Amino acid sequence: MTNVEQSLLELENITKVFKIGGGLGLMGRRSIKALKDVSFAISGRNPIITTLVGESGSGKSTIAKLVMGLLEPTQGQILYKGRDVRLWLKNDRMTYRREVQMIFQDPYSVYNPFYRVERVLHLVVRNFGLASSSSEARNLVAESMEAMGLRPEDLLGRFPHQLSGGERQRLMLSRIFLMKPSLVVADEPVSMIDVSLRSIFLDNLLDLKKRLEMSCLYITHDLNIAHYVGDEMIVLCEGTIVETGEAESVVGDPLHPYTRLLVSSIPIPDPREKWKTSLGVEDITLKKFEAEQGCVFSNRCPHRMEICIRETPSLISLEADRQAACFLYGKEE
Amino acid sequence: MDFGGKLITSTLRSLARFARGFLTYMRLNTKTMVGSVAFFSLIALAALEPSINYILLSGHSPTEMGLFERTLLPSFEHPLGTDATGRDLLSLVLAGLRFSMIIAVISGSVATLVAVSVAFLAGYKGGIYDHILRSVTDTILVIPIYPIAAIAAAYVRRIDLFTMSMFLAVLTWPWAARTIRAQILTLKEMVYVDLAKISGLSDYGIMFREILPNLLPFIVVGFGNALMGSLFIETGLRLIGLGPTEIMTLGMLVNLLINWGFLSLGRYSPIVVTTFLLVLIFVSVNLLNIGLDEVFNPRLKKVTGL
Amino acid sequence: MRAVDRMIEVEDLRVYYKSVLGDYKPVDGVSFTVNANEVFGLAGESGCGKSTFVEGILRLVKPPGYIKSGKVIFKDQDLLSLKDISDLRWKEISYIPQGSMNSLNPVLRIEEQMIDAVTSHVDIAETEAREMVLSNLKEVGLPIDVARMYPHELSGGMKQRVVIAAATLLKPSLVVADEPVTALDVVVQRSIIQSIAELRDKFGMTVIFVAHDLAAHAELVDRIAIMYAGKIMEIGSVHDVFLDPLHPYSKLLIAAVPSLKKKVVKGIPGLPPSPLNWPVGCRFHPRCPQAFAKCSEELPSFEEVETGRFVACYLCR
Repeated sequence: MTNVEQSLLELENITKVFKIGGGLGLMGRRSIKALKDVSFAISGRNPIITTLVGESGSGKSTIAKLVMGLLEPTQGQILYKGRDVRLWLKNDRMTYRREVQMIFQDPYSVYNPFYRVERVLHLVVRNFGLASSSSEARNLVAESMEAMGLRPEDLLGRFPHQLSGGERQRLMLSRIFLMKPSLVVADEPVSMIDVSLRSIFLDNLLDLKKRLEMSCLYITHDLNIAHYVGDEMIVLCEGTIVETGEAESVVGDPLHPYTRLLVSSIPIPDPREKWKTSLGVEDITLKKFEAEQGCVFSNRCPHRMEICIRETPSLISLEADRQAACFLYGKEE
Repeated sequence: MDFGGKLITSTLRSLARFARGFLTYMRLNTKTMVGSVAFFSLIALAALEPSINYILLSGHSPTEMGLFERTLLPSFEHPLGTDATGRDLLSLVLAGLRFSMIIAVISGSVATLVAVSVAFLAGYKGGIYDHILRSVTDTILVIPIYPIAAIAAAYVRRIDLFTMSMFLAVLTWPWAARTIRAQILTLKEMVYVDLAKISGLSDYGIMFREILPNLLPFIVVGFGNALMGSLFIETGLRLIGLGPTEIMTLGMLVNLLINWGFLSLGRYSPIVVTTFLLVLIFVSVNLLNIGLDEVFNPRLKKVTGL
Repeated sequence: MRAVDRMIEVEDLRVYYKSVLGDYKPVDGVSFTVNANEVFGLAGESGCGKSTFVEGILRLVKPPGYIKSGKVIFKDQDLLSLKDISDLRWKEISYIPQGSMNSLNPVLRIEEQMIDAVTSHVDIAETEAREMVLSNLKEVGLPIDVARMYPHELSGGMKQRVVIAAATLLKPSLVVADEPVTALDVVVQRSIIQSIAELRDKFGMTVIFVAHDLAAHAELVDRIAIMYAGKIMEIGSVHDVFLDPLHPYSKLLIAAVPSLKKKVVKGIPGLPPSPLNWPVGCRFHPRCPQAFAKCSEELPSFEEVETGRFVACYLCR
């Protein structure tokens, strides 16, 4: 048996196709390839925050749902601790649910408006048998709120609409604290809360990583946040990974033309540093159905070569643990 | 046994949750308040009717003929007078209310139960269940129910209360099923359903604890519509002289009173009272439904809070 | 400053909402001036009242909301005292509401919708209107094929450009855009921000840019107002406010915006107050690290501390 270091989470050649429209498959059915042959791994050695960066339509939320088992891949497999997620869900569903959790993007719709907010915590206590009596359950719930800097007396008995977006998301962190998972998938958790409240949430998340030795797959479109929380970074463009590496390096020295476009388009809150060049009209794409071959970025790329339209580049390993899928860096033989 | 105990406590807890949800919605709006108060008063009256009539008639049945003198005018002993067969009309009206309410509530409840089950199976499970059930629902919807009901009433001479309610339920369930199914389709895509799934909740748990509570207003409205639909069919048939004569509903009574010539003789009070009670049933349920709609569609309300 | 250089002047605008619990006061005394041919930014977090403010100056407040008091002077007329301003809309003042890119009519082609808009406000023939529409689309940088397309065939960024094109068809002097780049990806956001800058540079229009993203303001606007709890805390040129913020809230807000340069981001503790119950005195004092006794007693007045620089804070006297 080889001493292969087991990764915590691994996606192998994941492709996800969605069919939309049409009745019994006869008329008007279109397919959308949300993810095309995506592969990456999160190391299991140390707790790590991997940020997955992509714009809308890049497929990043689809990855979140696939990892959580809310969707099934069309092709490929997802391995958690070396075992297919489908097997986990079939044979050890509750263990998987305990170890892999999620924070959703919308702090409002994630709460069932019919119930009080603490129910999201009690549900977990009940389903995973974390307490043997109702008083123990109440203690656990209060403790997890306090651990995230929330005051139970301010929140218990309230309904979701009585709390602010920031409080609701932090309560979701309390839920994570309660469950102590090994991996948490965070799908744009701060994009819908105010800027002044975001840092509290992000700092809490970083704190959880340390305290619980928990890894995180942080999904976002905001490169600033990805840079702030991420150790590693993966850049997703229209369903394909175009670049990976350490977050600092990817943002400081982007290799792939798409990453370069993203980094240069970030608005900087300093009026002295405005954007130097302006975008041309070619940068705005007309929505069209993706070509089967060729690089996903070829229609917008300033460095487009003939080969880019014909063939799809695969991720090439470059120096210092960095990868980029671009023919500018050669071709994988 | 402990399992039995757990089942009872969890059922009671669910009932308590539903009661709380129901009261929350009921209290939100004057129309729902008035409607539900009126409706539940009618139910109370109908439920108390046997006792009331027991006292008024010293143990005799209100449909027993020849107890009193025939066609008496209203007086202190007979506030609405007596009919052509010697029955006290006040007792008869109360009995009529009871029968009407029983039919309305039973057929409404059964129709709603069937509608909700069908809606869940079709909406939540989807796939082949959805296709089959939708075809069934749409087929029944297309069938003209009044002619069917009339034909059935004409052919069947003797029928009991329960069977009649069942028949009306079969005719009225598809309407609610459609609306509720559509709502379930929306609700099952809610993010909190995803959260429940990853928190380990089973399919049934999700249906009953996540989706059902948010369906309550639609279920109540569906129930109201089914109730009114059934009563409407029944009353309509009565007014053209169809239907089992031994079941003395309000509609039946109106028909009898008109046939006995009360209208042409100027003896309005029994007809007015009977009609008023019938109308009150419809109005109270309608107020409830409109009020609930207002609560969930706030633009109907002119100023916040009213 | 000559009067004609001022495009729009708002004086002590108050917009309230009636409710059974009392009056909500989302806009509670806002005053400022927007100069011609500038992009004026209105920044603030959710709940500060900026969207209600826009509805207020454009007379779009619906019951139970109402305009309690104030003046909005546009081209020597008080908009709030006119019977209605429908003849000014589209021709002099244009409005791009929040989420408008998702409100395009899904069953009409783009050019049909825009021609509809033109002919309902100006009495010209359809052929002339079509020419106007096509040249306008070109001006905002859209390919000509877009005219014959339906909204669902366009990407978010293109829809937003169509909305901008429609709003500027009749070459209004003032364009009010409410969160035009909020739901867009970073690359698209950049191109839309550049389009809005072009409105000022190429067409000489005046723009009121309302957004919660401070970084977007830094890239685009000439002057900026920081709004909190129904009132303006600070106004100044974008350089002054970002590089030397005077009001404690402005300082904290700017420090809370992450950027690739800094590794530390600080939040603002506490929660924004409720429009039903604004705090007595300065609205920010419960969360202000530099608050002292007077701040909780009396509301600081909004004063011009230097030319064009306004602050509402006792620390800046």
